[in-house]
Amino acid sequence: MLLLQLLVNGILLGGMYLLLAQGLNLVFGVMGVVNLAHGAIVTLAGLFTFWFATTLHENPLIVLPVVLVLVLIVGAFVQRLLLEPLAGAGRKAELLSLMVTFGLSYVLVEGALNLFGSQYVSLPDLQTTWRIGGLAVNEALVASGLLGAALSGALQLWLNRTASGKALLATSQNQIGALSCGIDVRRMRAVAFAIGAALAAAAGVLLILVIPLAAPTADTLTILAFVIVALGGLGDYQGAALAALLLGVVQSFVGYYLGGDAEYVVPYLLLIVFMILRPQGLGKSGRPVWSERR
Amino acid sequence: MPNRMSLIRPLYPIALILAASGLASAPASAAGPIVIGASVSETGPLAVDAGYHLRGLELGVAEANAHGGWLGRQLELKYYDDKSEPGTAVRLYTRLLTDDKVDLLIGPYSSGITQAVAPLANKYQRLMIDPGASLPDIFSEGNHWNIQGVATSTGYLEGMLPLAKEHGAHNVAILSLQSAYSLACGKARQAQADQLGMHVVYTTTYALPQPDFSAMALAVKNANPDVVIACSYYPDSVGLTQALQRIGFAPKFLSETIGPAEAQFTSALGPLSDRVISNTTWWSSLKTPGNAEFIAAYKAKYHEDPDYHSAATYSAIEALGAAVKATNSLDQAKLRDWLFKNTVPTVQGTFKAGAQRGRDGVQAIYVPDPGERP
Repeated sequence: MLLLQLLVNGILLGGMYLLLAQGLNLVFGVMGVVNLAHGAIVTLAGLFTFWFATTLHENPLIVLPVVLVLVLIVGAFVQRLLLEPLAGAGRKAELLSLMVTFGLSYVLVEGALNLFGSQYVSLPDLQTTWRIGGLAVNEALVASGLLGAALSGALQLWLNRTASGKALLATSQNQIGALSCGIDVRRMRAVAFAIGAALAAAAGVLLILVIPLAAPTADTLTILAFVIVALGGLGDYQGAALAALLLGVVQSFVGYYLGGDAEYVVPYLLLIVFMILRPQGLGKSGRPVWSERR
Repeated sequence: MPNRMSLIRPLYPIALILAASGLASAPASAAGPIVIGASVSETGPLAVDAGYHLRGLELGVAEANAHGGWLGRQLELKYYDDKSEPGTAVRLYTRLLTDDKVDLLIGPYSSGITQAVAPLANKYQRLMIDPGASLPDIFSEGNHWNIQGVATSTGYLEGMLPLAKEHGAHNVAILSLQSAYSLACGKARQAQADQLGMHVVYTTTYALPQPDFSAMALAVKNANPDVVIACSYYPDSVGLTQALQRIGFAPKFLSETIGPAEAQFTSALGPLSDRVISNTTWWSSLKTPGNAEFIAAYKAKYHEDPDYHSAATYSAIEALGAAVKATNSLDQAKLRDWLFKNTVPTVQGTFKAGAQRGRDGVQAIYVPDPGERP
C-alpha cells in the first residue's frame, strides 16, 4: 500500500508538472523561443487568483476562464510587439528572444512584487482528502492533475485533428515549408505564444491551490518547466507528459526514502543523466537542448 | 630619496582642518538631532517583512520624539533601501558610518543580511542592536558590538518538547529547512529531545522552493511520531501542514516556527491552522509595558495591525533609548556596557543582553492561538 501511495502521489505531482510545463513547450515548439517569462506568468496568475478569492470571497476557479481569455489577448499583443520583430534576426533571434523574455520576466516579477508583495500566499480551497481503500488522495492535486491532463489532451487533439492546429504543428516542424504551403506563419507564432501564455496562466490559477506561491518563485518555476520540457525532448508534447510523470514519480520515491534535500535535486540530476544518455529526451520527435533550430 | 616624514608633512594642514571641523572623527553634530542609521529592505524578496521592521523603527523614533527625544535632542531616522541584498547592505552601512556619520545604528532585517553587516560594527566599534536576526552565530565570541534584539533561533519551539512530554509524548520527528536559522533550530531541538529522553524517530532537511511535501509527509506518517517539529519559514509551514492533512496524518503535536504567527497563515489554511502550535517573539495580548499603547499607536499611524517584526524594532529603539538616557551619553562603549549590565522592559518582553554577549536577546516564547489576531 505504501508503494501504491507513493506512486499515486508521484502521478498527481506529475500532473501538476505537466500543467506547469506544457505552455513553455508549445512556445518553444512553434517559435523556438525559451520563454523565460513563463514562470512569471504562472506566478502572476496565481497571485491574482489569490487576490481575487480573498478580496471578493469567491471560488478561485471562477477566475480561470477570465484569466485564460485575458492572457490569450495580452499574450498575442506581447508576441507581436516584442518577439515578432526578432523573427528576421536570423541566428541572433534565439539569443535576442532570451533577452526579451528575460526582460519581460523582470518587469512581471517586479510588477507582482509591487502589486502583491513578496509574501508567499496559498488558498485553503479544495483541501478535502478522499479515502479510496487505504489510499489518501487530495482534491486539489487531483483537480490540477486532471486539468493538466485535460488541457494536454485538448492541445493534442487540436494540434492533430484541426486545420488550424495542423497549421501550427507544421509551423513548429518547418517554418519555410509551412510558409510555402500558404500558412500565415506570423499569425501562427502569435497564436502559439498566446496559447502558451494562457496555459501558463491556467497553471498559476491551479498551482495556488496546491503550493504556496510568491513573486520570487517565478524563476524557479521557469527552470522547473524547462527541465521537464528538456527531459521530454524540446517541442515534444507526449515526451513532456512522460517526463512530467517520470519526474513526479521519481521525486515521490526519492523524497520518501532519501529525504527533502535529495528530492529537491532530482529534476536537475535527471536532466544531467538524460543529456548524457538520451539528449533527445523521452519523446520520439524531441530535439536535444543544444540542437540547431530547423 | 625623500624620507617618510617629508612625504607626510604636506598633509598636516589637511589633517588639522579635518580634525577641527570634526570630520575626522565619527560623531555627528552635537547640536542637531541624534541620527539613527539603518538599512531596510524596501524592495526585493524581504520587502514585506522588512516593511513591518521599518514601521516599528519609525514609530519608535516618533514616539521617542513625542516624549521629548533623548538628551534634549530630537531623533532622526536615516535609512536606505538595501534591496534585500547583503552586499548592498554592507555598502550602505559603510556609508552610514563613514559618510553620514550617524550617532547610533540599528541592524537590518534578516539573519543573512545582518550576518553580512555585523563585522562593520566590530570594525568601527559601534554598537548595533539587531532586531531582525535570530541566528546565534552572528553574536559569537569574537563579536563585541552586536546585540541580538530578538529571540535566538536555537530557542525557537524550546517550550514544545517539555510540554509534549508532560502530555505523554515520546516520539519526535524534526524537519529543518536548509537555512542557517532553521538548521540551528533543528539541531537544538534534536539535542533537547535527547536530553529529555525522547526518541527522535525521523529527521530530514529540505530546500525551498519545494513544490511537494507529500513524500516527506508520508515518511513522517510512517515513523508515527507524537510530536512533529518543523523549523520552517512561512511557505514550508503551509506546505507541510497541507501535506500532512492530505495524507491523513494528524500527530498529537504539530509545531512549526515561522509562519503560523502571521495573518496569512490562517487565510492560507483555514481551519487547518488550528492544529498548529507555534511560537513568536511578540503577540498582541502580551501584558508587557506599553504593548497596548504600541498597538494603538501603530494602528493609528499605519491603519494596519503590527506584527512581531514591528515589535522587535520598536523594542530596539526602547532599549537604545534607555541606554542613552541612563548613561547620558552617545558613547558607544558606555551604551554597550550598560546594555550588558541592565535589563530594559520593552513591548516584546524584557530586553536582556546577558552573559553570552548578546545571545540572550529577548526571550518571549509562547504558544498563540493562530485565530487570535491583534
